[in-house]
Amino acid sequence: MKRLKFLLVISVLVLALGIASLGVMAADKLPVVIGLQAPITGAAAIEGEMAKQSVEIAAQMINEKGGILGGRMIEIRIADDACQPKAGALAAMKLITQKDIVAAIQTYGSSVTQPASDIYEKFKKVNIAYGATVTGLTERGLKYFFRTCGRTDTQGAFFADEVVPLFNAKKIAIMHDNQTFSLGLAEDTKKALQPKIDAGEVELVYFDAITPGESDYTVPLTKLRETNPDIFYFTGYFPEAGLIIRQARDIGITAVFVGGDAAINEDFINIAGLEYATGCYQTQEALIEYFTNPEAMAFKEAYKAKYNTLPSSPWSVYAADALWVLAEAIDKSGSTDSDVIADYLRNKMDQFPSITGPIGFDEIGDRIGTGINLYVVNADGSFGIYGK
Amino acid sequence: MKIILEQLLNGLTIGSFYALIALGYSMVYGVMKLINFAHGDLFALGSYLGYTLLVFGSTYATVTFGIWGGMIAAMLIAAIGIGIAGTLIERIAYRPIYSVGRLPAVVSALGASIVIQNGIMVVWGPRPQAYPSQVVPSIMLNVGEFKITLLQVIILAISFVLMGLLYYIVQKTTFGAAIRACALDRDTAALMGINIETIIFFIFALGPALGGMSGVMVGMYYRKISFIMGWNYGLKAFTATILGGIGNIPGAMLGGLLLGVLEMLGSTYISTAYKDVFVFLVLILVLIFRPRGLLGEKVAEKV
Repeated sequence: MKRLKFLLVISVLVLALGIASLGVMAADKLPVVIGLQAPITGAAAIEGEMAKQSVEIAAQMINEKGGILGGRMIEIRIADDACQPKAGALAAMKLITQKDIVAAIQTYGSSVTQPASDIYEKFKKVNIAYGATVTGLTERGLKYFFRTCGRTDTQGAFFADEVVPLFNAKKIAIMHDNQTFSLGLAEDTKKALQPKIDAGEVELVYFDAITPGESDYTVPLTKLRETNPDIFYFTGYFPEAGLIIRQARDIGITAVFVGGDAAINEDFINIAGLEYATGCYQTQEALIEYFTNPEAMAFKEAYKAKYNTLPSSPWSVYAADALWVLAEAIDKSGSTDSDVIADYLRNKMDQFPSITGPIGFDEIGDRIGTGINLYVVNADGSFGIYGK
Repeated sequence: MKIILEQLLNGLTIGSFYALIALGYSMVYGVMKLINFAHGDLFALGSYLGYTLLVFGSTYATVTFGIWGGMIAAMLIAAIGIGIAGTLIERIAYRPIYSVGRLPAVVSALGASIVIQNGIMVVWGPRPQAYPSQVVPSIMLNVGEFKITLLQVIILAISFVLMGLLYYIVQKTTFGAAIRACALDRDTAALMGINIETIIFFIFALGPALGGMSGVMVGMYYRKISFIMGWNYGLKAFTATILGGIGNIPGAMLGGLLLGVLEMLGSTYISTAYKDVFVFLVLILVLIFRPRGLLGEKVAEKV
């Protein structure tokens, strides 16, 4: 009996020691957890799905090279915001309350990003937006907010200075959907057009909003038709854009159709039908298929190997970029402290080779240098750069 | 003038969708005094069922019956499928809790709505889907200076036939009289030998079946369908039900058509951006000045 007791004690001790040593080993190689806030469900669920895939591919690429901070793997933890501002704030809270999360990548849609970024700021977490381009977002004096995508004012200026002269357009119609991003882009475009309007070179014949999430846009389109525009710039999102182009052509609008950078992707073609989508234009930041730098090539290869296609919008790749720069900042600064990471991103990162080319951030957290192009939908449903 | 007529036609078309969905709300409310919030999502499910038949069964359906036959086949399949789904929802979500009052049933209805919505997302994916152009008739009619699609005319015709049929069943047949009797007083109706179970089965099959058919027509008309579409249409149809007088069958039809036309004219002549504001303002005005709805009389027979 005594012998049995002794054996029991010994075995318990051995077991305890084993578990303890396991714990030490695990602490050594504890993963670095990065949050990803994205619209996994809801109206923009496709963007969330692509963002998740892209970030996971980027994490896989970093982990295959041996991780960061001397061998710690990157782990992605996802919070769904359904592309709604309220749910966005909740998703941010959900990520912040998990103590092991180092920083966050967030999210598609400026109206969702805005409230979420306030929460990350309050709890001092570095957060990098990948699909939030409204000009004012970075001009709120936030310390922990960055973005890897561009700004709507560059896009508005591009439309005014490049696209309008290209089609020799005199009468311009702009339609938005009253949401933060879409209204922002519409107003930035209007601002950029103002000198030409004042000089009498062009005329803004239509500037109005639609309600997103509906099916029938014939009423606003009928109004637009009566103004007889040469060029029709729609700054909203793809689910509406697909319906709008078809209904516009059906009621006899022949103007050149240009979408903003959220208007045209695969689903736009799917909803509109190829016969309507062909020949539609889009002002957009660069698509991944046009990048040839080594990081982009490696990313494309890994993404294709897993999903047999490429992301059809630029935003998800910016999400991968966000992870890429976060990993670099954490690794190089050797710290998971928010202030150190933010400082590294703002002051020390310069021309860091990322997936969409060299990245650096300015004082307010905007990415330095993103290019905008005019894309056209080809007859086979692919995208081509127009005018180059 | 051209614009008014165009918008009237568009308003009638969208109004007939609202009316068909509103009938489902109204019938269920008439008999059960329950607002079936899952109804809008059953409508969306109908749209997806029709889509599935036309896309994956297109080689059979469209080739065998032609493009119009394919459309009818899709509508029938959606009607049958959604009729079954409607009765299932009644069994699972409502029947077990009837005895505890009406409020828990409303909460259960909202729960059923979330389940169906997310179920659609899981099965068909989060992307919006589109009815492909080769299965949708696209003949244009030129009437004077108008361009209208034949599809729009057919949709209007089918909607009015369906509404007429339902009106006939409820108002002119013995079975319809039984339904109306249930709506007036369920206990007395049961004492008179009416089988309440059959009536409940019937309204939970027929209401959603109409919704399912209008789901297919919406898919055909706009092509884009998404798993969240049920909420928007459900809300508008519910507004139409209140507008016409809840529980009242002709009221639901009138309310739907009126709402569609009001929405179109309001956004043409007032503001597009405030379209929904306008619609719900009408709802608020009706609730303040005529809470029983346009056709809802105090002593009216409610179904």
